[in-house]
Amino acid sequence: MSVTSTSTAKTTGSGRGEASRKRGLPQGGGRRREFTTRRGLQIAAFMAPAAVFVAVFTYYPMIAGGQMAFRNWKLTDLTDTSWVGLKNFRDVFADPAWGTVLGNTAVWVVGSIVPQLVIGFALALWLRRRFRFRGLYQALIFFPWAISGFLIGILFRWLFNSEFGVVNDLLQKAGLIDEPIAWLADPKTAMVAVLIANIWYGVTFFAIMILAALQSIPDELYEAAALDGASKSRTLFQITIPYIRTTLALTVLLRVIWIFNFPDLIFGMTGGGPNNETHIVTTWMIKITQQGDYGRASALGLLVVAALLVFAVFFLMATREKKGVRS
Amino acid sequence: MRRRTAALALGTAAAMVLTGCSTMSPEASGTVTLNMVESLTNPTRTDLLKDLIADFEQQNPKIKVNLVSPPTEQADQKLQQMLQSGSGVDVLEVRDITVGPWSNNGWLYDMKKDLDGWKGWEAMTENAVNASKDAKGRTYFVPYGFYGLSLFYRKDLIKEAGFSKPPATWAELVEQASAVHDPAKRRYGYAFRGGANSNSNATAAIEAYLADQVDPANGFKLKSGRTIFSAPEAQDAMENYLELFKQASPKSSVSWGYPEMVEAFSNGSTAFLLQDPEVIATVSESKSISKGQWGTAPLVAGPGGKTVQPLATAGWGVAKGSGHKAEAVKLVEFLSQGEASTTFTKKNSLVPILKSATSDPFYRTGPWSSYVTMTEQPDTYLVVTQPRGVTWWAEWQQKADADVQKLILGKTTPKKLLAGWDAYWTEKWQQEQ
Repeated sequence: MSVTSTSTAKTTGSGRGEASRKRGLPQGGGRRREFTTRRGLQIAAFMAPAAVFVAVFTYYPMIAGGQMAFRNWKLTDLTDTSWVGLKNFRDVFADPAWGTVLGNTAVWVVGSIVPQLVIGFALALWLRRRFRFRGLYQALIFFPWAISGFLIGILFRWLFNSEFGVVNDLLQKAGLIDEPIAWLADPKTAMVAVLIANIWYGVTFFAIMILAALQSIPDELYEAAALDGASKSRTLFQITIPYIRTTLALTVLLRVIWIFNFPDLIFGMTGGGPNNETHIVTTWMIKITQQGDYGRASALGLLVVAALLVFAVFFLMATREKKGVRS
Repeated sequence: MRRRTAALALGTAAAMVLTGCSTMSPEASGTVTLNMVESLTNPTRTDLLKDLIADFEQQNPKIKVNLVSPPTEQADQKLQQMLQSGSGVDVLEVRDITVGPWSNNGWLYDMKKDLDGWKGWEAMTENAVNASKDAKGRTYFVPYGFYGLSLFYRKDLIKEAGFSKPPATWAELVEQASAVHDPAKRRYGYAFRGGANSNSNATAAIEAYLADQVDPANGFKLKSGRTIFSAPEAQDAMENYLELFKQASPKSSVSWGYPEMVEAFSNGSTAFLLQDPEVIATVSESKSISKGQWGTAPLVAGPGGKTVQPLATAGWGVAKGSGHKAEAVKLVEFLSQGEASTTFTKKNSLVPILKSATSDPFYRTGPWSSYVTMTEQPDTYLVVTQPRGVTWWAEWQQKADADVQKLILGKTTPKKLLAGWDAYWTEKWQQEQ
């Protein structure tokens, strides 16, 4: 019996601590102080202000928001804020614009991510090479990332303006169009214009992340590949991409979440119009909030969180690296 | 030592929490501080309000006013959140479109008893007195001025197009705007409102076509009791309005709201604009068009030669949660009478609330004269009250704006749109009974 107790104490941290305390020895080689109720109270007291702020400004809004999703909570009429069960969720799905919003969100995420990844990768590969004024090029390419999304939206709204915009002017001068295109006024072209703006804006992030990852690849790998006579495409697919696979996966995951939650540019550029044709889920949620229907907006917010959580879990499972692959 | 450390930690925590939660205590000197929140904020207007507040403070040394000026786009929402919390607001800007839901939620103070016997009423126009009372006679706000539509037009462009005077009817507006419209030269006929609040101009057109039939007490109702959207003339109005977009408006105006419309006229690219009087100040400052190039004309009429002035208004009210109601009402009174009111309406380009303004040379000349013309001819320019105070007004606006955009994008027809609007209001009024 005593043998079993001793072996347990040896194999677990708590057991070791318990044994030490029993022997009256200080923990952690004599540097760690004994944990007492009084010390616990001291720690709790120092942590209390931060805990209160986090509770008030993070957890309370989260809980209140979650609660609102199941209540009739309209700022325009607060005389009845009773529980309504799943009505707000049903209202979200029953909205005639919901199908358009959902489709737009898919187009917005996929149509942004794929070109951003491809162009960002190409830029990173180009910037990895040593050439004159490389620093200047890097600075110029990374510059857009420093500007706010809303501002980019306003900038592109003017670029795509049908009457005075540079885009139409250039296309007309190049002889590609006869008369100005109402880019943002026509539902067929508004989403295209918004995507072009977002691709331009987001390429930078991919370029930064991929360039950082590329710089971690040892030159010896490329030298060995060159000695073996590997072609450029083979080097790309068998050395470069596998080596930075984790970075690529995490960058794509982060960007999907960010783009999904990125209403700024659309608000600055089209405000979700015309006729809701450029609304995505998050701009739609803001629009509902502006209408004062906090219940329905909260329901939509919960749906967004759930969708992104499910996506993140599946994406990480699908892209996780198997042990020993890189070795 | 440990006890001291624990006491210090608990003390720090308590102090931080308490300073975060405490409210300002009333000043020992007896001075009262009022929090005043404006809604239609812009920097010039805020400076103007600060000057008026300084005068008020000088006359009332025991009252200080703290002016809060949230950005216009978020102001109403921020105000709602502040009002919902029940404190932090004493005096606030209340609009005809917010008074319904806010009073319904119990956020506004009825000033009726406080303002009984107030001399300010005698100096006010009938419109202003009427606008300050709701259907049950309660006074949730005192208007500071009115916003009413008039037609801004380019004198030089219509002359070039062969017209000697500005359009007097909606049909003439389509004719003149189409004649001026030439996208190849980047010259456009009409600054169309297709985005935010597009429903307001569409209903103005409908009301003009039905002028004599509209119930003065409810601009969306015919004297027969049916909605204005059910009348055959409403369809004519919307067909004409659609032509105005197709033949004479820039394509991008499908999403234009207030700033884009005003910009299009101010930068000289558009010949006509239907807007409120505060635009006079903006256009006057334009460097693209000179004073001699533009003017204003009365609101265009329907085929019967008459029109309806859909006056919009806003004013100052007191929050129900205010702890200093007497002082707050005093500030509302100060802003709504005499020099303060005149200064505010003139510098903010509003249709005035005081009777004395009609004899003021400021309003009788230049771009303001069209408003005087409309005021002096009440049989041609009928004043009606739109049902802006109903709790569902915001919901209506969103629905109607979306429908107008669908119409001009060709996704619905005037007939379907009007049938939908008729059904909407009929149902709402039935629910109300």
